[in-house]
Amino acid sequence: MSLALTISGLSKTYPNGVQALSDVSLTIPTGMFGLLGPNGAGKSTLMRTLATLQDADAGTVMMGDIDVLADKAAVRRILGYLPQDFGVYPKVSAEELLDHLARLKGLADRKARREVVASLLRQTNLHDVRKKALGGFSGGMRQRFGIAQALLGNPRLIIVDEPTAGLDPEERVRFHNLLAEIGENVIVILSTHIVSDVSDLCEQMAIIDKGHVLLTGRPGDLTRRLDGRVWQKAIARADLAATKAVYPVISTRLVAGRTLVNVVGDDAPGEGFVPVAATLEDVYFAAIAGRLAPAHVLEAA
Amino acid sequence: MRTFAAIAAFEFRTRLKRISTWVYFAIFAALAMFWMAAAGGALKNASVSFGSSKTWIDSPYAIAQMYALLGMMALTVIGAVTGRAIQQDFEYRTEAFFFTAPVRKLDYLGGRFAGAVAVLVVILASIPIGSVLGLLLPGIDGDRVGPVRSLAYLLPFATTLLPNVIVLGAIFFCLGALTRRMLPVYVVSVVLLIGYLTAQGLLRDMENKSIAVLLDPFGSTALSKLTEYWPIAERNGRLVPLAGYLLWNRLLWLAIALVVIGVTTWRFRFVQPSSGSRRVALEAEADVEAEPVVEATPHTPRTTPAAVRGWRLLPRMVWLNFRETVKNVYFAVIALAGVLFCITVSTTSGSIFGTTTWPVTYQMLDIVSGTFAVFMLVIVTFYAGELTWREREARLDQIHDALPIPTWLPFTAKLLALMLVPVVLQAVMMLTGLGIQTAKGYHRYEPGLYLHALFGIELVDYWLVCVLALTVHSIVNQKYLGHFVMIVYFVAVEFGSLLGFEHHLYKYGTNGGFTYSDMNGFGPFLVRVRFFQAYWAAAAILLALLAYLFWQRGTVSGWRARSAIAWRRITPRVVATAACATVAMAALGGYIFYNTNVLNPYLTTYDQQTRRADYEKRYKALESAPQPKITDVSVTVDLFPREQRVRMTGRYVLENRTPKNVDAIHLSFLRGERLVIHKLAFDSPTTLVTDDMKTGLRSYRLASPLPPGQRLALDFDLEVPTHGFMNSGATTDVVANGSFVNGQSVLPLIGYQERGELVTDSDRKKFGLKPKERMRPREDPVGLAQNAIAPDADFVHFEATVGTDADQIAIAPGYLQREWTQGDRRYFTYVMDAPILDFFAVQSARYAVAKDRWHDVAIEVYYQPGHEYNLARMIDATKAGLDYYTANFGPYQYRQFRIIEFPRYATFAQSFPNTVPYSEGIGFIARVRDSDPDDIDYPYYVTAHELAHQWWGHQVPGANVQGETMLVETLAQYSALMVMKRKYGDAKMERFLRYELDRYLIGRSTEQKKELPLALVENQDYIHYRKGSLVMYALADYIGEDNLNRAIRAYRDKWAFKGPPYSTTKDLLAEIRAVTPASLAYVIDDFFDSITLYDNRALSATAKRLADGRYEVTLEVYARKLKADALGKESEAPLADLIDIGVLDANNEPLFLEKRKIEKEKTTFTIVVAKKPARAGIDPYNKLIDRRPRDNTMAVSE
Repeated sequence: MSLALTISGLSKTYPNGVQALSDVSLTIPTGMFGLLGPNGAGKSTLMRTLATLQDADAGTVMMGDIDVLADKAAVRRILGYLPQDFGVYPKVSAEELLDHLARLKGLADRKARREVVASLLRQTNLHDVRKKALGGFSGGMRQRFGIAQALLGNPRLIIVDEPTAGLDPEERVRFHNLLAEIGENVIVILSTHIVSDVSDLCEQMAIIDKGHVLLTGRPGDLTRRLDGRVWQKAIARADLAATKAVYPVISTRLVAGRTLVNVVGDDAPGEGFVPVAATLEDVYFAAIAGRLAPAHVLEAA
Repeated sequence: MRTFAAIAAFEFRTRLKRISTWVYFAIFAALAMFWMAAAGGALKNASVSFGSSKTWIDSPYAIAQMYALLGMMALTVIGAVTGRAIQQDFEYRTEAFFFTAPVRKLDYLGGRFAGAVAVLVVILASIPIGSVLGLLLPGIDGDRVGPVRSLAYLLPFATTLLPNVIVLGAIFFCLGALTRRMLPVYVVSVVLLIGYLTAQGLLRDMENKSIAVLLDPFGSTALSKLTEYWPIAERNGRLVPLAGYLLWNRLLWLAIALVVIGVTTWRFRFVQPSSGSRRVALEAEADVEAEPVVEATPHTPRTTPAAVRGWRLLPRMVWLNFRETVKNVYFAVIALAGVLFCITVSTTSGSIFGTTTWPVTYQMLDIVSGTFAVFMLVIVTFYAGELTWREREARLDQIHDALPIPTWLPFTAKLLALMLVPVVLQAVMMLTGLGIQTAKGYHRYEPGLYLHALFGIELVDYWLVCVLALTVHSIVNQKYLGHFVMIVYFVAVEFGSLLGFEHHLYKYGTNGGFTYSDMNGFGPFLVRVRFFQAYWAAAAILLALLAYLFWQRGTVSGWRARSAIAWRRITPRVVATAACATVAMAALGGYIFYNTNVLNPYLTTYDQQTRRADYEKRYKALESAPQPKITDVSVTVDLFPREQRVRMTGRYVLENRTPKNVDAIHLSFLRGERLVIHKLAFDSPTTLVTDDMKTGLRSYRLASPLPPGQRLALDFDLEVPTHGFMNSGATTDVVANGSFVNGQSVLPLIGYQERGELVTDSDRKKFGLKPKERMRPREDPVGLAQNAIAPDADFVHFEATVGTDADQIAIAPGYLQREWTQGDRRYFTYVMDAPILDFFAVQSARYAVAKDRWHDVAIEVYYQPGHEYNLARMIDATKAGLDYYTANFGPYQYRQFRIIEFPRYATFAQSFPNTVPYSEGIGFIARVRDSDPDDIDYPYYVTAHELAHQWWGHQVPGANVQGETMLVETLAQYSALMVMKRKYGDAKMERFLRYELDRYLIGRSTEQKKELPLALVENQDYIHYRKGSLVMYALADYIGEDNLNRAIRAYRDKWAFKGPPYSTTKDLLAEIRAVTPASLAYVIDDFFDSITLYDNRALSATAKRLADGRYEVTLEVYARKLKADALGKESEAPLADLIDIGVLDANNEPLFLEKRKIEKEKTTFTIVVAKKPARAGIDPYNKLIDRRPRDNTMAVSE
């Protein structure tokens, strides 16, 4: 059975005046869904709202016939959640804490619970260190423990908030593999500010910034929209400001000491610009920079 | 140095910007203002007096005391500021910034510490500021304020508060820095508090003063001890110096602080946490690649309804939370500290004159539930915070909160886990109590009593606090603020009654408490305790619901959002529970109110004072009206122990012994409001003209005036019933077992009673009454016509019939004539065959009786079975007393002497004719170890004292004028001392007198009005007992015991069974002067007619061995004689006095002891003694009153 998560008109303003979500509407189907956005875009607010941890000011979220915002208990029964920032009891072992959380997730049968805990620990490669205190875990290990607990109880909605931040490349690959495995029959929402997390893993994605959804779609489709429209030029660093003033620059980066500027445009913007293959990164930067058509236009396309 | 300053300044600035800093500031300023307002009489309902009302509220002494106490309350603030100075970096994970900066460790640590201390100085500056502002409040009584002295505010800040900040700050700073956590900071604050409580406990024994003073980290004990002998004049005038006890205490703790700071600097490392874990991490990563990816087993949680699952999960969650709480070193430290506290305090528990009692169970319970209760509350509060914040502090809250469990589950689990904490501690305390009893060789174990008191009663109280603490933490949702709210609650409950908030109906969790007595068990208190507990339990359910509604789940913040969620959590079940709890609370509250305010009058201290003021204002004019005196008392007392009811029926015969006609008779009642008058009728026609039983007075106009010499009778039938229970106190005179009812508390007193008036100047002023003298002058004819014990009668004929339950023995003064049982009642008729003072009491209980004889006098001790310990001592003392008193003072007027135990609701013994009620709390359980040279046989002393009252009081009462209690109490004290000296020798007496001196000097420093010379004493304990002992003992030494006894005998012979007029101290002193040689006449003046103090000291003492083996001691002594005025202001008096000069051996036995005339400040003596001298000095046995008795002798050097 495949269920979609439908978010419509979700808004949230914090008491200090920050508008974290503004009329956010999204449909999230089964599979991996990437939520891409810069720091402070509202990703975590959205994640926490979906994870029943806080309330929205307006809007609805439905998953099948579950009203996510109202029937929190029902959501929690099918939810796996890995927060962006979480801690552990430093003196408790991985196995002990996982077992405890499993019990709270409703795995009452002792034997079954043990098997589940053991298999999750194996799956996340923590089986060998299961007796060790969590306080001694490295960042990657702790993150894997986080995903292990999120997988408890066969969740149908898995929310992982910035899971790869701070992981080394190897850990990141391992983590991606883990996510890829589980993302087949359930909804996995992955929030991140790392573009390759999304391009590597996700079938569907959305880009949000300042509380607004800028783009949604399949990463491939979105990239194709920019095919032939991304131009690049190597310039001296000193010329950057001037270039930015003249051209619709979406991103800059340094390569071997030279500055490469990417520019969006239907035609070659000027001298020295060469066409380059569009990447998801270009889509992301273009969207953030406001150089792409609004979301609904692309959706229609 | 620059980085140091920068770090300190940054710490200081950022903290000053925090709201919490100014909240603390405001609170302490408010507390100081409030203190001043309460002490200065600005709060109408407040009945606070700190020590003497003669000490100005802004005197250097009072300010220093206030600083010390408020400084203790600052403990939590000091912990929060200095503990977090370093720890904050670990909590906020900012440590790397500092550890990687080019900062020296010393600069980092020192800077932070200095910054924190500076902030604390700012915060605590609120105390002086608040106290100055407090003085400006309207309503402050000008008489209570002295001249402004800025040093009085500044000096104690430097000697008390600042060192406290540094010392406690250093300790907390060290803990926070080294453990990188706040928990140890809290735990150690509890331990320090226990240090203080232990110091207070130890003080009960005078010998422990120095240890106690050093043990208290706050310096408060030291301050009290330093100033304890300061008379009022000094308290008002003298700055409290950094000297003596206080200096030593401060130095010791500053040294400890230095060590702590040193250790911190040495042990602190610029290393990030989790260093030890690196190895594990590497290991794990090494075998990553080898591990094949394993498919997770498909699994589905069982889909039982959440609520059902919740209940199943509850026990385990409770257990987990509980285990997390207690299974760590901190809990162990707290429990251990508690055990040590109990053991330490038990060494002096119940100690009187440095002599302990048998560790009976109620005494163990007193230790455990008295002071220990204070920090049980601290522990509960503290763990409530820890439990509430556990997930959030581990940052596991988001995972936890997203779990499919109902919200009530973690809340309930935490609440139950918290409630288990006091269960464990109570069990530990019970075992400690049993252990102490065993160790002290007491084997009368009462596990049932322990269980009942610790678990049946107190645990419920602690549970109520658990609910409150968790509710506060849930709602406040800010850990430190939550703790602070709890402190405010404790303070409000603790001190509310001082401000007139006395009803337990609005003081959450309170119930008025109970006093357990071996005789009467939990007695009348239990009903009230249970009803209030039930009432507050209903309130606790409401609180718990509230806590649940606001229980933090998820990342919600802000009041609006939280209230919205709370609204949504309101389900029918919540509403139903709340409704039930509200109904229960209302019903119980209503029933309680019916008991405390309808069945019984609810009177605050202020109300009671109002009544006394009213009594005086309305009826003072009646004082001069001629009134008849009682000549015959015949009474039937019906005690109903189980109903706590007493009814007295009988007849007074009154005789007009004045030269005028009596046309109206005024009857005063001590407990008018509770009295039921069944009958009150004269045998001559009267009209009731005033009926004011609320203030306690009835006036009857006689149809025909009663001429001088004529008699009339008053028939009475009065009852004092007990209805339900009261808000505070309880009927403790008529109880199920151990009734002790004073006749004067039920029967009418004839005429206006001056003793019903308010006494202290400040109380009187509050009600617009002028200050008054406490007693009449010695020449006052009205006073001379009355005896002070029963002013409305002279010697009367007395007979009483007492009825009680069939299984009890009832006793009244007189000889038993008849005893019979009628149904379930037993009756005793007592008749006195000679006139006695109109002063009687009846007692009734299930007694065992010990009997003995002295010649033809029957000695009987009526006691609670189990309290046999000191019966022999009491009987011995009686025999020895009868020997000494009959030989020296005159015959004993009765054929019987009875000691009768009563419950410890009061702790005194009191002498009635041939009858001495004697509290179970002062002697029946005393443990006098004859092997211990320090133990004082106080059951012996008390018995001898009370026996002596059969002469001093019952044979010779004093006139109702100044000096009266010297005739009664000082003479009884002297008599007892002589009996004790005979048995125990001079050395024991010296020890006893050291306690008497201590209590005299402390007593005069808290005098409420004025200190008087002994001969003019106005019923002042510290003068007639304490100074009386010292003076009479010294007098016997100066003029000789036999000589003195001759004088006393002559006085008795002249005045026994006579009056009116009654005798005064002039009469006694005339006899004493008659036997005193002229050379010593000055001693009588000094001892009795003025307040005389000596400042005697040994200055140097050296010895040299002579050729014949003897030793020549050269001794230089210093002596001054001072006369003090009523407030203790001293002035130099000329010295030409005979004072002991002594050389003592190693056992304190005299090698040389002679009185020498001292006429100069410094005098040198050369004395040859036979044996090796150990100490030498002036007045070595402290016969004279000296504020510094310890420096009279010094070790002799060779």
